[in-house]
Amino acid sequence: MRLTLRCRVTLSFGFGLLLVTSVLAFATWNLASGYMLRQREASATRQAEVNVRLVEKSLSSPGLDELLTGLTTGPDSSILVLTPTGLVSAGREVEPSELPADLVTHPPGRAQTTVAGLSVIAVTLPVAGNAVYVELFPLQQLDRTFGFLSAVLIAGTVGSALLGAALGSWASKRALKPLAELNSAASRIAGGDLRARLPDQDDPDLAALAAKFNSTANALEQRALRDARFASDVSHELRSPLTTMVNAGAVLRRRREHLPGTAGTALELLTSEVDRFARMVVDLLEISRADQTDDPPPEEIALDALVRNVIATRTEVPMDLEPAVVRGDRRRLDRVLTNLLDNAERHAGGAVLVSVRGRGSAVRLEVEDAGPGVPPELREQIFERFARGVMAGSRGDDTGSGLGLALVREHVHRLGGRVWVEDRSPRGSRFVVELTEF
Amino acid sequence: MCVQVLMVEDDERIRQALSLALSDEDFTVDEASSGEEALRRLETESFDVMLLDLTLPGMDGLEVVRTLRSRGDLPIIVVTARTDARDVIAGLEAGADDYVTKPLMASVLAARIRALLRRRGPGREAVRIGDLEIRPQEGLVHRAGERVHLTRTEFRLLLELAGAGGRIVTREQLLQKVWGYDYFGDTRLLDVHIRRLRRKIEANPDEPTLLLTVRGTGYRIRS
Repeated sequence: MRLTLRCRVTLSFGFGLLLVTSVLAFATWNLASGYMLRQREASATRQAEVNVRLVEKSLSSPGLDELLTGLTTGPDSSILVLTPTGLVSAGREVEPSELPADLVTHPPGRAQTTVAGLSVIAVTLPVAGNAVYVELFPLQQLDRTFGFLSAVLIAGTVGSALLGAALGSWASKRALKPLAELNSAASRIAGGDLRARLPDQDDPDLAALAAKFNSTANALEQRALRDARFASDVSHELRSPLTTMVNAGAVLRRRREHLPGTAGTALELLTSEVDRFARMVVDLLEISRADQTDDPPPEEIALDALVRNVIATRTEVPMDLEPAVVRGDRRRLDRVLTNLLDNAERHAGGAVLVSVRGRGSAVRLEVEDAGPGVPPELREQIFERFARGVMAGSRGDDTGSGLGLALVREHVHRLGGRVWVEDRSPRGSRFVVELTEF
Repeated sequence: MCVQVLMVEDDERIRQALSLALSDEDFTVDEASSGEEALRRLETESFDVMLLDLTLPGMDGLEVVRTLRSRGDLPIIVVTARTDARDVIAGLEAGADDYVTKPLMASVLAARIRALLRRRGPGREAVRIGDLEIRPQEGLVHRAGERVHLTRTEFRLLLELAGAGGRIVTREQLLQKVWGYDYFGDTRLLDVHIRRLRRKIEANPDEPTLLLTVRGTGYRIRS
């Protein structure tokens, strides 16, 4: 899986800082530890040189033992004087054989080594010709300092890597915020909310993008409004002549028996088409208005009662209703159900079950039929305007306006829900309207 | 008895077609082409119901409704070409009893007119609610002894609610019993009438104490 941009920025900030600080820490460690060791060696050598001068004076006197004891600096330091006749030592017990042989045989010399389990600096100096002075300076203190230093450096490196990651995460979040807003606005527009806009941006890099996006959205909204207004104007202008036609048609139909044969058939065709035309204009007007915002304030509607009332005015349909309350415009809900029932009657021989069921925070209104069903490839398409033609052979004598399901979708959308069609077992289809339960 | 309808409509073709179709439904239709003409005729003749187009030349349809309401309670059905909520509500607020939108069918219109003119059931006793007294026989309503002028539709709405004796009456029941509706989706008609009724019978219409709303269902009268 490819990592998100934000993840990648965070990781690269983290690793980048880790790399830089670890190089710095390594260099610091090398310089500091080398310097401190050298200092310690130099001071050890100076000390040994001073001590050797004192030892030289009292080499053959019996007080050498005491002198050496006085010269040792702590329980862990040792001084050994190797003369051809024997060994005089003070401080921590050390066998001469443990000392580095080179150092003892070729004084003067200096080395960092481990003697009897202790890290020490060993300094050897010649004394009075054939004797050798050996002093061991313990490095415990310096080791502790080194330990502390390395702990600080490691902690600093890890800390700065974490800080870098946090910084990267924060910076990328800041930088990507306008993109997230763009994404949300674009998906709102894609979802049909043409009023979505981006907030004004201070950053000149982003201002142009936001302005462009907003002007595009504006143009889109204007265009949609113009289209809706045009449809509304057209159907409005058609209303007056239609009123005349519908009523003149009704008068004629009443006198059908006076017009036998061809004229009578033509009359029937004419009047039924005029009626359909009238329905279409009414639906067209409704759908162009469905986009606009003249809704009354939403009210609480008992969905089960509404279903019962709508069904009561039509052919009896079996019902399975759970009590449910939704919020919205009653007219819209009424039209949704009426149109779904009309659709079932027109294309599937009528609904066989209408149900209302709660589903967690949602409530589903379902209209089932036992008709031929809707093939999967047409399940989106049937909700388009004038999509009736897609159902081959469905243009019977009582075809609708071709806007029924499109109106359903518009209304459901405005009610804040969604609608789809699915298979019903063993045959037929189920139209599902899902709304948020109040 | 034949119902006398006065149709006010400026489009001559619509007037003719509707007249013919309504005559088929056994109505007698008289025509007027403007608000002024209609008001003039109403001074001398009497009609059972008025069909009024809202968009008229000269005197505005809403103005005609207001004038008629100040004179009496002739049932008025408003005919609008627009279905904008604003238009419809303005017509109802002005005092219309019902509304239809073009293209209107004579058969639908006939059903509405019949529902509007339906007679009250006989032998109803007088009802008292608080300081309100309803006498169905005479069609009178008194509030604290003073007569309240209700239109015929408002009166029937009040009677339906009062007849339930404090039980809830659903919006659907009201729409069907008072207006003869079998399509219940539209709530504006009822909403506006309830508002009008409250203005007449409540001391404070914004905080009703007699005609109470039952949220999501309907209305009831305080028993």
